[in-house]
Amino acid sequence: MTAGSRQVVLERIRAGLAEIDGEMQTGYAELPRLYNQRGSMSVEAKLALMVERLREYDAEVVECPEAALEATIAAQIAGSGRRVLAAPAGLPKQWLAGGVDWRVDHDLSHEQIEEAEGVVTASFCGVADSGTIVLHHSPAEGRRVLTLLPDWHLCVLRASQVVETLPEYFARCTEPPRLATYISGPSATADIEMTRIKGVHGPRFLSVVLVQDDV
Amino acid sequence: MNAPVNHPVMDPRVAAPFPEAALPVLRNAQLRKNVAHATDVIQTKRNKLVAEKSDWLELRDAASAIRAHTLEHLGEYLEQFEERCTAAGGVVHWAADAEEACAIILNLLREEQASEVIKIKTMTSAEIQLNPALERAGIHAIETDLAELILQLGDDEPSHVVVPALHVNRSQVREIFARRMGLEDLKDDPQALTAAARTYLRKKFLSVPTAISGANYLIAETGGVSIVESEGNGRMCLTLPRTMIMLAGIEKVLPRFRDLEVMLQVLARSATGERMNPYTSLWTGVTPGDGPQRFHVVLLDNGRSAMLKREVERQTLKCIRCGACMNTCPVYRQTGGHAYGSVYPGPIGAILTPQLMKLEHAQTLPYASSLCGACYDVCPVKINIPEVLIELRAQVTDRERESERRFFDPIYLGMRMANSVFANAGRFKAAQRMARIALQPFTGKDGWIHKLPGTGGRWTMTRDLRGLPDQTFREWWEKREKERAQ
Amino acid sequence: MGYVMQVSLFITCYNDTLFPETGRAVVRLLERLGVEVQFRPAQTCCGQMHANTGFRGEAFSQAKRFVKLYADAEAVVIPSSSCVAMIRDQYPGLIAELGNDALRREFDALLPRVLELSEFLIDKLGVEDVGAYFPHRVTYHASCHGLRSLHLGDRPFRLLKNVRGLDLANLDNLDRCCGFGGTFSVKNAEVSSAMLTAKLQDVRSTRAEFCTALDNSCLMHLGGALHKEFAAMRTIHMAEILASTEASPAEGLA
Repeated sequence: MTAGSRQVVLERIRAGLAEIDGEMQTGYAELPRLYNQRGSMSVEAKLALMVERLREYDAEVVECPEAALEATIAAQIAGSGRRVLAAPAGLPKQWLAGGVDWRVDHDLSHEQIEEAEGVVTASFCGVADSGTIVLHHSPAEGRRVLTLLPDWHLCVLRASQVVETLPEYFARCTEPPRLATYISGPSATADIEMTRIKGVHGPRFLSVVLVQDDV
Repeated sequence: MNAPVNHPVMDPRVAAPFPEAALPVLRNAQLRKNVAHATDVIQTKRNKLVAEKSDWLELRDAASAIRAHTLEHLGEYLEQFEERCTAAGGVVHWAADAEEACAIILNLLREEQASEVIKIKTMTSAEIQLNPALERAGIHAIETDLAELILQLGDDEPSHVVVPALHVNRSQVREIFARRMGLEDLKDDPQALTAAARTYLRKKFLSVPTAISGANYLIAETGGVSIVESEGNGRMCLTLPRTMIMLAGIEKVLPRFRDLEVMLQVLARSATGERMNPYTSLWTGVTPGDGPQRFHVVLLDNGRSAMLKREVERQTLKCIRCGACMNTCPVYRQTGGHAYGSVYPGPIGAILTPQLMKLEHAQTLPYASSLCGACYDVCPVKINIPEVLIELRAQVTDRERESERRFFDPIYLGMRMANSVFANAGRFKAAQRMARIALQPFTGKDGWIHKLPGTGGRWTMTRDLRGLPDQTFREWWEKREKERAQ
Repeated sequence: MGYVMQVSLFITCYNDTLFPETGRAVVRLLERLGVEVQFRPAQTCCGQMHANTGFRGEAFSQAKRFVKLYADAEAVVIPSSSCVAMIRDQYPGLIAELGNDALRREFDALLPRVLELSEFLIDKLGVEDVGAYFPHRVTYHASCHGLRSLHLGDRPFRLLKNVRGLDLANLDNLDRCCGFGGTFSVKNAEVSSAMLTAKLQDVRSTRAEFCTALDNSCLMHLGGALHKEFAAMRTIHMAEILASTEASPAEGLA
């Protein structure tokens, strides 16, 4: 049945487009792209914007130099009051702070991940204009379920990973990611009288450690 | 279960004509208040963000061009998508119409032995009337978008493409949740209501192995797909289950991954007045160990391919379902979405639904507009909605004008007569004189007409009409020229 | 008399029949500004009503007639944004479809010479102060065609600002449609009336004596409701305000 309709649909499409004047069509390469392909902010301004946008989402943001990264992560965890945390299998071992019941994701079940109070991950990129954190779900960023079920996500973002505009993120992708999640604030709904309520499904709390590495 | 007295009819084949369907809504003060409030909120946010975006016009140009180009090469891009998605472990199905799409999906669910499915909001599934088909097959579909959950539990229908329950206020939601979730002490503040939904749905997310979704974008270059959302229920449904079935109109395809840099910038700003929506997910086929291990895409035609031939119609398919048009529409503001009797309401509904129905139904929708053009101004992909409305009016009229029932229709008669009159200045002058004479008996002492019979009465119902002056402009001019000549 | 230029007035079918005082005001205004006004009596209608209601077939002959009639006019001035919008937005498609190259050339040459009244005054004559006197509180309603098709922008305001004695009150939600929409006002009379009521709320809250616009179509809809409700506010086409002077006040104001 489906093979049959494949031909039917494709033939209808072909017939519908048959009379389009080839000369009037624009080839993909000629499509107008006069929008901003890159930002114009200084590095400091860009990073400040990223922090500002994250804080607008009520994300907690703490900046630290590279050397203080482990300590900062540990302090964030300690301050959160959470002791059972999930971690991607590829998370740098040094980030696994002491005093925590770590559930490292070696094939954890959903139930096991549900038991975690939070998760710590790396990230791929940050887009300052919209305060977006990009995950490509590499070994250090973890499977998608890991950043979905726990209520708190502690995300490590390097300054060198932050771009100003969305097109710059796309330009950084040497090839399209197989998996990606773009996070711009905690989940939200405005379905009831347009009152924005945060934290419907997905982590209600987001903390970001912005590492002042070599930009 | 007590259904609302007037369950909105969203099937264009049986829905009342727009002017009739609008009547009960116009008398529903609560709904009009809710609609005005919701659309005002989104519009204000949207306008602020658009004003701050220095390259908004360029983004709009690019978005429009990308979508137009895609449609001009639709077959190629769909085939490329199918090839790449399949290579990545997905299974692609093609449905010629709504019935076939339902059949394909039901078949897949039978293979899964599913008795329940969790759903991410998708208007496309409402378009093919999937939920009733599932119910008939004994499969319970659980809507997981808060608005869709509200509507499902309240036995109601969506009235907006992005904020489907905007016509429902908090106390109405509280009543629905309290009744259906058994939570008598539930408060009516949005926080409490949302928390109730979170708890109710989490159990489902973790247990139901099959999910159905729509699609925001299909990427031809990679075979990847994207879902744009706010609440996180999408991520739940596309991550936790074993099987994911995605229903996508054939127009949802984009050429390349990179094209998302344009579409994502214009979509969130237009739809919810945000720089970016909370969650956007992108995945390609099946990834071992991460997410559903069975992934099906059902490509839906259902009348779309018939819209490709002419540019004036084809542009309708550029739509990215942002809802900006209905947020700004002064007609929608007064009537909300249900009056359109279709899954797609507002300006886009007024042009999309009649075309999907091949003009056999929803013929009053192209007339459900004052042609103000506000929708065109805000459309992020530059669909010239007024142009399409006028085109569809011409098509509807051409179909109708030969039929018996239109022969004595006052508007059809009037238009025929007017055309004959406009063809010749002598005839026009005579018609002006006749109109003056004909309206004289209806003209009051104050020189105004307060009540007219028939179609004219539709005007005088709420407006007076000044009586025709004794002298037309051209009569005055003629006289003046004579006097000057002397 | 030495004229600056000559224009042909396209009065529009509905102004001709229902609002001749607007036409008289246009003539008075333009002549005062040194413009020689011509009126070609063969004119009737631009075809908008038919085209917008679905009677597109009928619009072809009306469009062709318009082009033929004005092909040699120096300029065509029209005191109605919606008619100008018809000519700018829809005539190109209609004329192209007729497939007559000579006609299309005539139309292409004519189009830049077709102007709405405020466009003519500001862009062609370069005049913002027309020497008018209208000592009343006035609010301006932006018709949708003027706003979105013609992009009139601030032209109306520049003209009104210079009218002596005029107290201009800003209208809230200026860009929201009044609900007229041609036959929409009758086919969807209830929705049209709901939109009208909402619009009048904004209009009335200006406490103006007059609501003006560049289109009598919107004004007959707004004015018709104001009259039915025995409101004190009246509507008046902007041409009549601009034509008004101390010596020669607008008609019907005595």
